[in-house]
Amino acid sequence: MKHLRTIFLLLVLCLTVGAVAQPPQASGSAPAAQQPAQPAPTVASVVDRQISTIEKQFVDLAEAMPEDKFNFTPESLNIKGSEYKTVRTFAFEVKHVATANYFFWSSVTGDKLPEGIKGPNGPDDLKSKAEIIKFLKDSFALGHKAAASLTTENIVEMLPFRQNKAPRLQLVTSPVPHAFDHYGQLVEYLRMNGIVPPASRGN
Amino acid sequence: MKTWKFPFLLVVLSSVIGAVAQSGNAQPAQPTGPASVSDIANAEIGIIERELVPAAEAMPEDKYNFAPTAGEFKGVRTFAQQVKHVATTNYAFWSAVLGEKPAVDVSNENGPDSIKTKADIVKFLKDSFALGHRAAKSLTSANMGERVESEFGKQPRLFLTTFTVAHCFDHYGQMVEYLRMNGIIPPASRPQK
Repeated sequence: MKHLRTIFLLLVLCLTVGAVAQPPQASGSAPAAQQPAQPAPTVASVVDRQISTIEKQFVDLAEAMPEDKFNFTPESLNIKGSEYKTVRTFAFEVKHVATANYFFWSSVTGDKLPEGIKGPNGPDDLKSKAEIIKFLKDSFALGHKAAASLTTENIVEMLPFRQNKAPRLQLVTSPVPHAFDHYGQLVEYLRMNGIVPPASRGN
Repeated sequence: MKTWKFPFLLVVLSSVIGAVAQSGNAQPAQPTGPASVSDIANAEIGIIERELVPAAEAMPEDKYNFAPTAGEFKGVRTFAQQVKHVATTNYAFWSAVLGEKPAVDVSNENGPDSIKTKADIVKFLKDSFALGHRAAKSLTSANMGERVESEFGKQPRLFLTTFTVAHCFDHYGQMVEYLRMNGIIPPASRPQK
């Protein structure tokens, strides 16, 4: 299950990041490094790990698309028999994911939404690749903050979300599958432009 | 174009969680009881199931071996392999949550070769979600952090239960594109009647 192994490798990396910094081992002569005791997972650490996984894949994917292709949509390819009328451009897909992230996670953290969000595709004035990727990265930073708020006791607490209420755990985890939905679409956008997504490249 | 799909998901979730009284009219559903981790995970599985199964059903059988070619698509999965891969992964992870041996052979990430027809593949997918609901229902606050043996070492039950949903959505997004390349709007993206 190569694809799954890739995902799990990413997860291991995500676990490593943020762990206590280890001094580098002298190569060759050092005895086998002691395995650090795995801390017991908490609901916060489990969810944070999921956010880190999609963050790594999604940000790398967004960065892999050249700026002059950010307004690409498959509609422009005129694939015979296809149905791509009015689908989002690559840039709108990325901005949409970041906007959704902000909506969900700010409802948990209490942070204000960024200026200029008028709809599901984010602020109109974010146009350059650098601006869009910063918007995306900042949205994931909010996700880590939201995940850190989770405890066994508060995960089922119902929090206001737009005109409804939802459990805190749901508000923190929902952006992950949502982002993966759009990640899967953008994988195809990249490939249509001759680019293999970074997470799918051979090691 | 998809619009505010994510709030819609939440509304759906909220209506699933907490023993909602359904009146059958247009009144917005209000959660009436406390949710549990089991409810939340189960609702997430229900959402992707209701998107993925109709997407799998929407592709005509004679297009099940479709894979894109215009671009850099060397070695990518066919539509059938995408669906079978999702179902296989569902079996591998959700069986682990339950501490059961997978009921199907998960050694090949694209599932058993013997599952070939559209009907067989869709059934394979549906059965995998039935397993997922059983896995979600086994979650409690006390056991969700417990690491259990899986195809990839010991992983927390909560992680195995919910990350499988995220994995499904990754491939759902790809299947959406495969459908559109064949002139089919994914059922979940069609205008609501």
